[in-house]
Amino acid sequence: MNPERESCLVEVLDRLLTKGAVLNADLIISVAGIPLIGVTLRAMIAGMETMLEYGIMEDWDKESRELYASQQTHLPLLLGEEVIYKTFGYLRDEEGMIKCWVPGVWNITSQRVILWVRTPGKVLFEAPLEGLRLLRVPSTHDVRKELELVYPEGSARISLTERDEFEQALREAATAATQAADGVAAARKEKEIIIVG
Amino acid sequence: MANEARYLYSVARTGENNDHVRLGNIGIEKNEVYIVPFKDIAAVVHACEEKPYRTEDRKLAEDWVLEHSYVIDQATRMFGTVLPFSFDIIIKGNDEAVKGWLSRDYESLAGELLRMQGTAEYSIQIYCDPAYLEKMVLVHNQDLQDLMSRIENEPKGKAYLLKRNLDLKMKDRAFSEAAKLAEGFSGKIKPLAEELKVAGKSSWAEEKYKDKKLVASFCCRVSDEAIKELGETLDEINGKEGYYVRFTGPWAPFSFVSLSGTGSSEEG
Repeated sequence: MNPERESCLVEVLDRLLTKGAVLNADLIISVAGIPLIGVTLRAMIAGMETMLEYGIMEDWDKESRELYASQQTHLPLLLGEEVIYKTFGYLRDEEGMIKCWVPGVWNITSQRVILWVRTPGKVLFEAPLEGLRLLRVPSTHDVRKELELVYPEGSARISLTERDEFEQALREAATAATQAADGVAAARKEKEIIIVG
Repeated sequence: MANEARYLYSVARTGENNDHVRLGNIGIEKNEVYIVPFKDIAAVVHACEEKPYRTEDRKLAEDWVLEHSYVIDQATRMFGTVLPFSFDIIIKGNDEAVKGWLSRDYESLAGELLRMQGTAEYSIQIYCDPAYLEKMVLVHNQDLQDLMSRIENEPKGKAYLLKRNLDLKMKDRAFSEAAKLAEGFSGKIKPLAEELKVAGKSSWAEEKYKDKKLVASFCCRVSDEAIKELGETLDEINGKEGYYVRFTGPWAPFSFVSLSGTGSSEEG
């Protein structure tokens, strides 16, 4: 077959905005600190998933491009660990100056519960399933429902639309993980996952 | 009036007799595109003000990018393979400033031009029928077949969760299956290319591939002599049941040009 000189607009944009040679020096003017091109255009080449991050990443300079190219796009898993369930949700951040809900994808694996943000590939929260307790708490949001995760090192408030499903999946996974870790104590551990309210 | 600057499209090997080459008013916003030569190479530029091209008007931004792309195509037609620059690279100063940069970085620019000579970038996407891919995933994963039959015997709630688990696993295994296939394809293509890169997954697809699954996406730099053989190799893949190949090019070597360390205004 012969190569075709056909290229859709998105391909041309991708090539010209994210590839090609770049000079990073005081010789040129369009570098860090100056957004080079409209947010809408960037969002178009990035797709919906990363739109939010593009909105935040106002500086589409070389560093951003390199960061974007190098980031991890898959949740790093431990040996033998597998993802059982995932759904979009939030984690309450009480540490920062501003108390807020941080969005991400809640993953339940065979060993942990993890809040993963795809861009820039980062684990925002993780806790082992073993010894995990779940508490239902009154919701502060119209659509989303909340849960308190209590684990050996502390606790976290999380919020999800599909809380009930998530909770069921987490309970099953935690039971299975506990059984695997300690077959004898499995029945006793299961009772520790209590539901309030 | 704002300070003088030069918008940079590409660097080309123009040969020694390159004075007064004009490409015409084909630049961004119909600016006149010309070359700033140094020895046997030259920068393809237009004169502009010392400020970046910025807009929130999407249509206008697209036009700029397409105009930039057109200039690179024209320069390639005139001078052979060029070093394409990214959109919105603007050099402070006049032609002398550009010349100063070319002379300081002559070695790396000329070296890179030599490396690219007689080659071009091509893009290859290999798609697969989702049903065919699913069939192969099931053939290679007995545990998924077992899970599938288990779902039928479970109560509704449990079956729903198991189904979600199965879907996730199918997706995950389909990903590994595709990765395996991609590795096989890259093994066939690599010997014919000077360089090969796995292209990132993108969110768009041409209409005729919308219902297909992208299993491999490469960009490769291929010499003019090897292109026929590459076409034949891709024909073989395209002829297999369930596979579709999209092969486009030639493009300027956007994915392969590397000028690390150039562009400094410091001497040395």
